Amino acid sequence: MTLREPAWRVTARELESSLEEERGTGDRATGYVLSPFGARMNRVILAGELTPAEPVGRDDPPTFWRARLMDPTGAVAVTAGAFQPRAMAQLRAARERRLAIVVGKVHLFRGRDGVAYVSVRAEGIRSVAEADERALLADVVRQTLDRLDLIERLEHQPPEADDALRTPGVPGAWIRAGREALHRYPSVDRAAFRRELVAAVRRVAGATGPISAAAEEASGVRVTRAPPPAAPSAPPTAAERAEEAVFLTLLDEVADVSIDGYADLKEVLSRLESQGVVGTRAESVLNRLEEEGAVEEPIVGKLRRA
Amino acid sequence: MSPSETAPPPVEVRLRDLTPPADSVEVVARVVALERREVTRRSDGSRRPLLSGLLSDGTASVRFTWWDPPREGVERGTVLRAVGAEVRAFRGRPELTFGWRTRIAPASEAELPRLTGEELPVRKLRALSANEEGFRVEVRVVRVTARTVSVGEERRVVHEGLLADRSGALAFSSWSDFGLADGETVRVLGGYVGTFRGQPRLVLDERASVTRIPAGDLPPPAEILRAAPQAIASIEDDGGGPSVTAEGIVVGLLPPSGLVYRCPTCRRSVTGGICRVHGQVDGQADLRARIVLDDGTGALTVNAGRAETEALWGVSLAEARARLRELPDPSVLEEQLLETLLGRRLRVRGAGRKDDFGITLDPETIEPVDIDLDAAANELSARLGTGAR
Repeated sequence: MTLREPAWRVTARELESSLEEERGTGDRATGYVLSPFGARMNRVILAGELTPAEPVGRDDPPTFWRARLMDPTGAVAVTAGAFQPRAMAQLRAARERRLAIVVGKVHLFRGRDGVAYVSVRAEGIRSVAEADERALLADVVRQTLDRLDLIERLEHQPPEADDALRTPGVPGAWIRAGREALHRYPSVDRAAFRRELVAAVRRVAGATGPISAAAEEASGVRVTRAPPPAAPSAPPTAAERAEEAVFLTLLDEVADVSIDGYADLKEVLSRLESQGVVGTRAESVLNRLEEEGAVEEPIVGKLRRA
Repeated sequence: MSPSETAPPPVEVRLRDLTPPADSVEVVARVVALERREVTRRSDGSRRPLLSGLLSDGTASVRFTWWDPPREGVERGTVLRAVGAEVRAFRGRPELTFGWRTRIAPASEAELPRLTGEELPVRKLRALSANEEGFRVEVRVVRVTARTVSVGEERRVVHEGLLADRSGALAFSSWSDFGLADGETVRVLGGYVGTFRGQPRLVLDERASVTRIPAGDLPPPAEILRAAPQAIASIEDDGGGPSVTAEGIVVGLLPPSGLVYRCPTCRRSVTGGICRVHGQVDGQADLRARIVLDDGTGALTVNAGRAETEALWGVSLAEARARLRELPDPSVLEEQLLETLLGRRLRVRGAGRKDDFGITLDPETIEPVDIDLDAAANELSARLGTGAR
């Protein structure tokens, strides 16, 4: 049985802070984006000021549009394509900024450098009066606080006691998402995030002026955030050093015979595979070398010695 | 050696007290359901008649199998006395078998166990599950309405409504007129729990009895009808209920919504002028909205009928049909309906049932909700523990 995914009430800031996802397996599996603040989102609803949309891509007429939704905590990209005809029509029709409610699916795109880009693929967009925008923002803050409080309790409680939380009406999905947040974001500063909600509460209370500091940013700029600094890793082992040496040798071999002087990444990886260094291990060797500054990738898929 | 010499004389027992395995019991019970079949014997291919069904004596219902039954004289409602019946367990429940050793004779109503209130355990509504009987409940009649229905050829009046105690609420249908009125507090004996659209419901027939009792601790009707909204996630956990209240935001519409056509006979929706049951019909126009309401913990479908849809949309059926003459595409109407509904905050109350797609709610009331923004801001800044204002 697959129930309809609820629309999580989240701030733009929470979406900006979300760097982790959970991909389903199998056909038509549901994927989730996990926030550090206890949301395990497939669908979200948010309120704020929506900018006019810009077309994305080279299709003429454009089949994909992107706008930005700003709330008092931050901003997030809102997109709609030909598969969301109603939302796309809404996005392209607007010529001016207006207050809106957006319901949609969360997408997380992660570049090779690990930087995550979160966007909301709109299913429904509605321009609303200020009272409606503020009312939804109140829901967003209330449920966000509920989730933060829940995480605080989960932090001090063994997982066996989770069932006891369900009796007073805490949704099972929230408990699961809270546990996941604690696990995936062990060192995130939730107190700081909580303080950022103050701006949203001021807006609920009727504060006027620009909705968000982010409102001043040029539209189309995507907010990107790198993953939290990893815990200092153990110094590489001798075996790892050996793999790095093999990698560099292969890189030089490939670069020597290439026309442009770069080593093709695929070529290096396939040679590495024949040496028994496969898949994620090869990836981690490359990541280490890039971190140490031994190798760089100035063009996607092309490596050279730094 | 014949079995009658060795078996102890049968003792009359209540169906509630049957304990498998037992070789020879005596029961008096009413046939409440029956079916005649024939079983082919593997040894010689001959066919052996069989009657099976359900027996009830007011304390419990038990399935029975009767080998080589008489050709006639056994019907739904017949009271039987069976001496020397066998009790076996099937899937953890006792079942009765009447074989060649069992002597069966018609009995009179008066021979059925006399159930006095004290004998039956008092149960809470929330603890009752499907197919239970032999209990008494003390409840508030939250509301009751009479309705005429066709049962086969017959027209019968059924009194339907909602009962409640401190544990929860339960829908009921009464096939006898006990003169129930809204707000009364009653003790009910001899009902049983059936299911309707997957939801449990207390069924009262001529065997049930109803007595008025003082209200005691029973909740007043308003408490049930004006209950605070429940998180949709917990409505999902409960699997629905006869009276659930939810509050959320409209995030979508499911098809078919907007202008639909219904069969004039059975009210089923008609596609291409064809009713699933009645074939080619002249469909009657109707309005409906299947609203997806979401509160952040879950989502449910609210099946709004014509009156509710008209009220929410602000467009009457006649106006919708007039629009259709100008834009002959019903999907435009659905778009227009969605445009007025999307993002609206609604509180709905009604009967909720669960299926593979989650909870569907048949609304009794749908109300728009206005948020007191000042109160919300105060509450939230208190929770943040800062001078947000």
